[in-house]
Amino acid sequence: MRFTQVRRERLALLLPAALLMGMAVVIPIARLVVLSFERTELDSGLRSHFAGLEMHARLWQDGRWWSSLGNTLMFTTWSVGIEMVLGVTFALLLDQRIPGRRWVRAIVLVPWALPTAVMALAWGWIFNDSFGVLNDLLAKAGLVHGPVAWLGRPGTAMAAMVVADVWKTTPFAALVVLAGLQGIPRSTLDAARVDGASPAQILWRVVLPLLRPACLVALAFRVAQGFGAFDLPYVMTGGGPGGSTETVSLYAYRSFYRYLDFGFGAATAVEGAGMALLLFAAILWLSGRTREVA
Amino acid sequence: MLPASERPFWRPIVDRFAQTHPRARVELVEGPESTDLREDLYTASLLARDPTFDLVYMDVTWTAKFAAAGWLRPLDQLFTSAECESLLPAALAAGRFSGRLYRIPARTDVGVLYYRRDLLEAARLPTPQTLDQLFGTAKRLQSPPSRWGFVWQGKQYEGLVCNYLELLSGCGGFWVEPGTREVGLDRPEAKRALSFMVRCIAANGISPPGATTYQEEESRRLFQDDRAIFLRNWPYVWSLAQAEDSQVRGKIDVSPMVHEPGRRGWATLGGWGLGLSSYSRHPELAADLVRIVISLEGQRWLCSSTGFAPARSEAYRDPELLAANPFLTRIGALHKHALARPPIPRYDMASDILQRHLSAALTGGETVSAALAAATRETRHVLAARDSGR
Repeated sequence: MRFTQVRRERLALLLPAALLMGMAVVIPIARLVVLSFERTELDSGLRSHFAGLEMHARLWQDGRWWSSLGNTLMFTTWSVGIEMVLGVTFALLLDQRIPGRRWVRAIVLVPWALPTAVMALAWGWIFNDSFGVLNDLLAKAGLVHGPVAWLGRPGTAMAAMVVADVWKTTPFAALVVLAGLQGIPRSTLDAARVDGASPAQILWRVVLPLLRPACLVALAFRVAQGFGAFDLPYVMTGGGPGGSTETVSLYAYRSFYRYLDFGFGAATAVEGAGMALLLFAAILWLSGRTREVA
Repeated sequence: MLPASERPFWRPIVDRFAQTHPRARVELVEGPESTDLREDLYTASLLARDPTFDLVYMDVTWTAKFAAAGWLRPLDQLFTSAECESLLPAALAAGRFSGRLYRIPARTDVGVLYYRRDLLEAARLPTPQTLDQLFGTAKRLQSPPSRWGFVWQGKQYEGLVCNYLELLSGCGGFWVEPGTREVGLDRPEAKRALSFMVRCIAANGISPPGATTYQEEESRRLFQDDRAIFLRNWPYVWSLAQAEDSQVRGKIDVSPMVHEPGRRGWATLGGWGLGLSSYSRHPELAADLVRIVISLEGQRWLCSSTGFAPARSEAYRDPELLAANPFLTRIGALHKHALARPPIPRYDMASDILQRHLSAALTGGETVSAALAAATRETRHVLAARDSGR
């Protein structure tokens, strides 16, 4: 009797949070999945019909989907890879007792605090061929002759986007890793030192393995964000040139809003999210395996 | 909903409406400057069947999609044929879909070729008419990278399609035939038009390599900073390039876009108009407001201080407007060969296909033939999707 009352109380207390989560997260996702099994008919006033797997089949035959998926993977791999290396490096530096450490830590966070659309616009101008700072500096240094259209070629446009993303989100990786770094007890490091480990050995054998959980958290967030990259390509390149920087999110958005092809847009979003989950599972699995080997 | 910067020009129109309709109130909603963002906002509102917007301030390319989605009321009953005939025929035609009128043009845009009259005169060269003349003249007079021959809009976006369409028609080709829905992108004319663009950008060409990243403003700045001889752009550039602070003030002129010998130059039709939302609760009042917009007086308010080109034919002969903007006579002439973009509901999809492949060809990702073959195939696929039981 008493037991069920407590249980009821607990459930009642959970209810608001559960409702909120259900309305804000579960229902929209479920709606999206349902939508991805429908076909939207623009020519007859946007009526939707159940179409089974038709949209998913269309997606798999769609060259633009595969190329946007490839672009997204390329962008995520490069930007997250560089960010993690730089992030760990900065975290290690910021953990040192350098003068004005608090200030440096605050300043490092500035790029992260900027809205992506604003910084994408700024980077767009930096990489501009005629008015851009980068070409100006390179020309003054005698490294280039004539303006280079960084955003006008597929390879360099992707590289420019990676640079902008690294600039913006390295601070995030650094911050998460720094938190992990401060969670390592001094006594562990002292013990290693007493045992005669060199600084390099301490870094590779003690600090980095202990940082693994923090790195995984940073990696998880960054992979999810990188896979969902939207505002950066939208503002900086519009997905061009020749579709070489169009990401899955940009494609899904265009299918929804521009083509009013809701079923197809939903299928794009659902499969894109599925791919991101798969990728993340693969990272977790790989990291678990390397730990066993080590 | 208007771009915030346009609000002052619409104010007198709304004031006049308030005089004739004292019991009604018009609210001008300030929206973002970006066309795409305003389209997104309208889309979200209309999808939700929201009656907030009575009138939809529409780009010329939205008509088919919005009408097919059922978001617009046909206007044929609300406007008399005399009212319709007072408007530029090409601009009015762009508001039709499936034989019905859904959009009344308020102001128009046409593609224009700007050039440096002073430089051409100094070199005793005529205004180029053909593609080869443009290339030759630009090549002779340019001194890159400080001054380029020809700047235009080559970024992967709608403007690239507008640029290409003018060349395509100037070569005698077509994109999508509205009646038969035939796709003409794999024909020799389409290849010649795209090859010209590629030639402009190539190493020995007349356009900066960065032209593949330009929209209107980047190319205008180059021209206005005395760093380009020819510019393809819209009429808005004229008043800016002739302003006090412009480096090319009094040195420029305009002409129709170049074409192949024996053909004529074409101008892609742009512009903004008004559609009536299906969810409007005041269709009659909204139609009255549109009547003021297209009246001669309304066109004066909208166009005299802004440099916008009117939609009313008579406005191009109006002494008051011509005094404010002598450039209008030129624009009026260009309207005779204004080129509409295909009125198909899936226009955005067709346009994106073309944008991607044009951009890929310009940036070396695809050859001209491969790009156009792929664009043709994909466009046919999009157009056929309608008939396969959809």
